[in-house]
Amino acid sequence: MSKEYELDCMGEACPVPLIKLENKLNELEVGDLVIVQIDHSCAMKNVPEWARKQGHNVEIEEVDDGEWEVFVEKAV
Amino acid sequence: MDIKNNEFYKKWFKNSYTYVAGAVLLSIMQIVTLASTGNPWGVSGVFANWGAWIYEAIGGSVDKWYYFSSKGAQATLEAGFLNHAPSMRNIGIIFGALFASFAASQFKIKKIKSKKQIFAAIFGGLLMGYGARIGFGCNIGALYSGIASLSLSGWVFAVFMFLGAVVGSKLLVKYFM
Amino acid sequence: MTETNNTQSSLSSRRSSRPSRKRKPKKSQLPKAYATLAVIILIGLGLSTISKTLALFWVIGLSFGFILQKAKFCFTASMRDPYLTGSTSVTRAVLIAFAITTVGFTAIKYGYFAKGLPIPGMGYVVPISLATAAGAFIFGIGMVIAGGCASGTLMRVGEGFTMQILSLFFFVVGSLWGAHDFGWWKLNFIVKGEAVFLPDVFGWFGAVVLQLLLIAALYIAAEKWENKKNEAH
Repeated sequence: MSKEYELDCMGEACPVPLIKLENKLNELEVGDLVIVQIDHSCAMKNVPEWARKQGHNVEIEEVDDGEWEVFVEKAV
Repeated sequence: MDIKNNEFYKKWFKNSYTYVAGAVLLSIMQIVTLASTGNPWGVSGVFANWGAWIYEAIGGSVDKWYYFSSKGAQATLEAGFLNHAPSMRNIGIIFGALFASFAASQFKIKKIKSKKQIFAAIFGGLLMGYGARIGFGCNIGALYSGIASLSLSGWVFAVFMFLGAVVGSKLLVKYFM
Repeated sequence: MTETNNTQSSLSSRRSSRPSRKRKPKKSQLPKAYATLAVIILIGLGLSTISKTLALFWVIGLSFGFILQKAKFCFTASMRDPYLTGSTSVTRAVLIAFAITTVGFTAIKYGYFAKGLPIPGMGYVVPISLATAAGAFIFGIGMVIAGGCASGTLMRVGEGFTMQILSLFFFVVGSLWGAHDFGWWKLNFIVKGEAVFLPDVFGWFGAVVLQLLLIAALYIAAEKWENKKNEAH
């Protein structure tokens, strides 16, 4: 059964959200979903870009002014 | 007329630009800077002046320092902040980014989250300030403008800045995350 | 190809089947953007009454700030990411900026040179010494720890990051400290150094071509680095 995790990265500085995501994905299995909550505009760009390049399925949603949720489904 | 659904608003103000688009636009502005002001873009030199003005405001004096000893430097200090064009450029960067954030409805005040961030800001800021003075500039003045000016110093700066970034990354992960 | 579509649409359906959380209705910040624009124009007009140069630098700064924010352009990331995450997309963009700006700068400088006029911007061709290496190294460490370089710090202040306001303050303090010590560095290291303007060594055309070739080589290396790092996962 695929699991879902929320990764609260609000208020974190560059490049912490991406590193935290990387570490989390290493613990998970294919099919698991990580929802990264960020308010850093750099991360809004570099987290989806990195995750896609790694081969995962990524969607990003703006949830409020300056806040986003990045959905990363582990695919590899 | 709902501007938020306008395709040009979305393309130019709402959505992010690609890194490459940024590179092209920055290059245009750098070239404009050299052509219209006689010098390439610089950022960190201004901060030394801000430091000097603040220091003088609280009773200190930098007049005996070698760094501020030239006629030009003395004149700049005398004329003050409101006459200092490069200072206006730095403040302009802040306002340009602020406007861009609001225009994309992305602005949010991000408060400092932890003691680690405080130490990181203090330590990192001090290192950048000190390093930029003795290295003749920062990522803009010494690196970007230096290289684009066909100065070998720019490439030397690049090599050592990269090494510093590697060390900084290790420290960041170990102590500041 | 089909596999990707299937898995991507599975993500979409997973998202839509999640309990929908209550979202605050998003407020548009456009009114604040208009207000900021008004302030920007007022400041610009005010500065232009003191001097046109001030207004020019103001506009140039605004442009840089706007571009940096929209592209999330970060020199820190260009040097940090290849090591920390294996990504070189920002690195390659920085190299493109170097290349285009080099061409533009050289054209301007050559124009003055060819007319026998003093070349603009030569103050940025500085002596190379231990101070350059030490300064760059220290700066590199600082920018990664602080989460932003010089331009990045200013950009982030404008985006609302209070950490960068603190970083900026200490950047100023560090700059004053560096200015204070500069005399010592000058005496012990900088005077022994030499400034090297590449056209003096390779000629104008040679210098530009060599630099562009170097940038191209670095670009290729950066792309290969990223591909290698992505395969390893």
